[in-house]
Amino acid sequence: MSDDRRVVGTARSAVFSTYDRLFVGRGRLQQAVIGIVLLAAVGLVAAGLLAPQSDAGRLFAVLTADSTLAATLRLSVPIAFAALGGIFAEKSGVINIGLEGLLIISAFVGIWATDVTGSVWYGLIGGVLASTLLAGLFAIVCIEFRADQIIAGLAVWLIALGLAPFLSSVIYGSKNSTSVDTFPTLPDMGIPVLSDAVTAPMPVVGVAPVDIPFFGALFDASPPVYLMLLAVALSWYTLHRTAFGRWVEASGENPKALDTAGVNVHRVRYAAVLLSGVLAGVGGAALALGVGQFTGNGPTMVNGKGFIAIVAYLFGNYNPVGALASTMLFAGLDATQLTLQARDVFQVPTELVRTIPYVTVIVVLALFGRTRIPSAGGEHYESGEDE
Amino acid sequence: MSFSERAHDLLGRLVRASAFERFLISTSALLLSVFIGALIILGAGRMTDCASAAYTIAVPGKFVTTTLPGLVPGVVKSVLPGGLWPSQAVFAMGFCYDPFAVYDLLFLGALGDVLNNPLNSQFATTIAETTILMFTGVAVAVAFRADIFNIGVQGQLVVGALTTGVVLTYVAPPLAGLGVLATIVLLPLGLLLGGVAGGAYAAVPGALKAYADANEVITTIMLNFVATSIALFLVSREKYFKDPESFANQTVNLPDVALFPSWLFRARDDVSLLAFAFAVVVLVGIWYLLQHTPFGYDLRTSGLQPDAAEYGGVDADRTIVSSMTLSGALAGIGGAVYVLMVLGNFQTGVPDYGFDGITVSILAGNNPLGVGLAAFLFGVLKSGSIVVQVGSDVPPTLVGVLRGLIILFVAMPEFFRMIGQKFGSFGRPGEPVATDGGSGGGSDE
Repeated sequence: MSDDRRVVGTARSAVFSTYDRLFVGRGRLQQAVIGIVLLAAVGLVAAGLLAPQSDAGRLFAVLTADSTLAATLRLSVPIAFAALGGIFAEKSGVINIGLEGLLIISAFVGIWATDVTGSVWYGLIGGVLASTLLAGLFAIVCIEFRADQIIAGLAVWLIALGLAPFLSSVIYGSKNSTSVDTFPTLPDMGIPVLSDAVTAPMPVVGVAPVDIPFFGALFDASPPVYLMLLAVALSWYTLHRTAFGRWVEASGENPKALDTAGVNVHRVRYAAVLLSGVLAGVGGAALALGVGQFTGNGPTMVNGKGFIAIVAYLFGNYNPVGALASTMLFAGLDATQLTLQARDVFQVPTELVRTIPYVTVIVVLALFGRTRIPSAGGEHYESGEDE
Repeated sequence: MSFSERAHDLLGRLVRASAFERFLISTSALLLSVFIGALIILGAGRMTDCASAAYTIAVPGKFVTTTLPGLVPGVVKSVLPGGLWPSQAVFAMGFCYDPFAVYDLLFLGALGDVLNNPLNSQFATTIAETTILMFTGVAVAVAFRADIFNIGVQGQLVVGALTTGVVLTYVAPPLAGLGVLATIVLLPLGLLLGGVAGGAYAAVPGALKAYADANEVITTIMLNFVATSIALFLVSREKYFKDPESFANQTVNLPDVALFPSWLFRARDDVSLLAFAFAVVVLVGIWYLLQHTPFGYDLRTSGLQPDAAEYGGVDADRTIVSSMTLSGALAGIGGAVYVLMVLGNFQTGVPDYGFDGITVSILAGNNPLGVGLAAFLFGVLKSGSIVVQVGSDVPPTLVGVLRGLIILFVAMPEFFRMIGQKFGSFGRPGEPVATDGGSGGGSDE
């Protein structure tokens, strides 16, 4: 068999398996929507290449701008971290709807701790501690005192929504904090070999990695972006390849079996919820430290990202990689609307463009929301042994 | 049987009665929130700077609420200067905020001088806030009874308020000359518009939940963001509905005949006893609807036992959509009342009535009649937060913290049951309490 034929064969099977994943076993409506989205994507690329002056062509230019990928990565950080946290908590059987609150509290404490210590890294740690503490409170309330998880999660959100602007007003005299340092990007970090390598021209092509069109943004990002990619990989490994991952799964699917096997269900759930606090804390602190300020008016600077994260992991079917992909979709839409606003290409009103990510979340949830939540999700589990 | 045994037996029996238990849990949650809130006020008082401490804790000694020079926060531990309680206090700490003073302003300030002048303007604000919270509270309660979490009451209220404000700017001015007659036509029309708009906006997540399994918590929260953005879009542009003569994002002021009459209160207090009475009637009406009509029965059973309800012939999907629509309509009417009683037009930046409604409903055990009481309590908090803002340095967002704490504590009845079992003797198994008929411990374990 020649190499050519093998390559063609691999490509064919790749096409078929993609086709299977996208279309087989789905309802008419889902198939139609997926088809339309695919066609639109192909049309957009074609217009971008063939007719750059048309509306579709200009939209393609916006989508492929360096700043769009950079913004997508930046905006993905809080959503992806919260989504990872949500996966651990929900897989273990505790639905953590309070992710939004964890993001809010860690965003504020991240700024405050940076302001006090003078270091963004201590700020990040401060944010993580605050978020983990609040997650711990949520865990105690749900696991020890059998609270309704949805209501307790809403309470976590509302507590943070009140507490963060309150503390900001106490400390800074306004719901918005003062400005602090932000995370430097990779080329500015002064890491001995790496920082130089990404800005120096590569030997063969003669272009520095940061100057690569579109993908250059990957080498010009701030530490939280790389932490996010690392966290996704580690979460996937933890969930699918370690004993703890299996315990988390069993704690949500069949807690009785886990109990019988001699593993303490409550302890697994505590660990999972605290882990969701740690992860969401990184996301919230990174969000605020990317901007350098906490803004606490209305829904605060978090602005629903915690709830979008929930949809992201549902859409990603509780898989960290899938969650990252759907996070990038929502963040990408947000980045596109930011670039659209900045360039003023189409005369679209900003208020309406801003609703695009939220509307997409609703559409995605309506079309693909029928995911199977863990069978013991939302239920309290009481071990029988101390009776 | 001794008196205390008798009392415990009675208490035990009462606690088992679920309505009373709910009341106890709500009250305990409230007190616990106020206590934690006091700790937060003290903590916040250490994080800010002030010339002299407003509140001091000295050990050993007692809580002192006088200003002590030299105990400025920032010094973690200071020994009292000589002359004040010599040799008694070895440790003293000053705080910039005095929690007792703050709560005094918050709870009593909201009432104003109500005994001498029941029509004072602070009490008027309290009544106005209570009125709107009755609508958002009962809106959340109706959905909750059907086991639906309507977190979108805020958005539905905004849409209702927007619709009422916008449509009436076209309908009301031509009728302005008709006097009372115009009010009789315009008021119900305004409320109807708000109700229809809010109901339609809530029907969307209802239908998505019923027919596409989309979690209503997420969809309603997303729709809150959408509602705020659409309102801002429509009211910030003169080519749509912005008042061209105002710098603020708002619609044209409605003529007075379209608004709720102020009656006893002064017009500038933005309150109406008519609106308050209407809210009371709505609460009673919803209570009757839930308890004594077939629709209410269907709604409650699908909330408690969805499978049983379906087996009994209830169309579960339709019940979801109709209870969401009813819930949204109530929220929308609340928005209309906000426009017709408080604002006189529509403005962006609507206060968090929807989120407060969640707390009101949960505190009331999702009982429409209880909502009245809980709404008054929250009306006091909202109105009192203005007094706190004026009368102290404590940020009024404190009320937002209390709101979350109350929900958290009401959500964990088990906590209070455990405490109750530890400190009261009722319901404790194995306790040889001489009860008359053996109705006590054991039967409910």
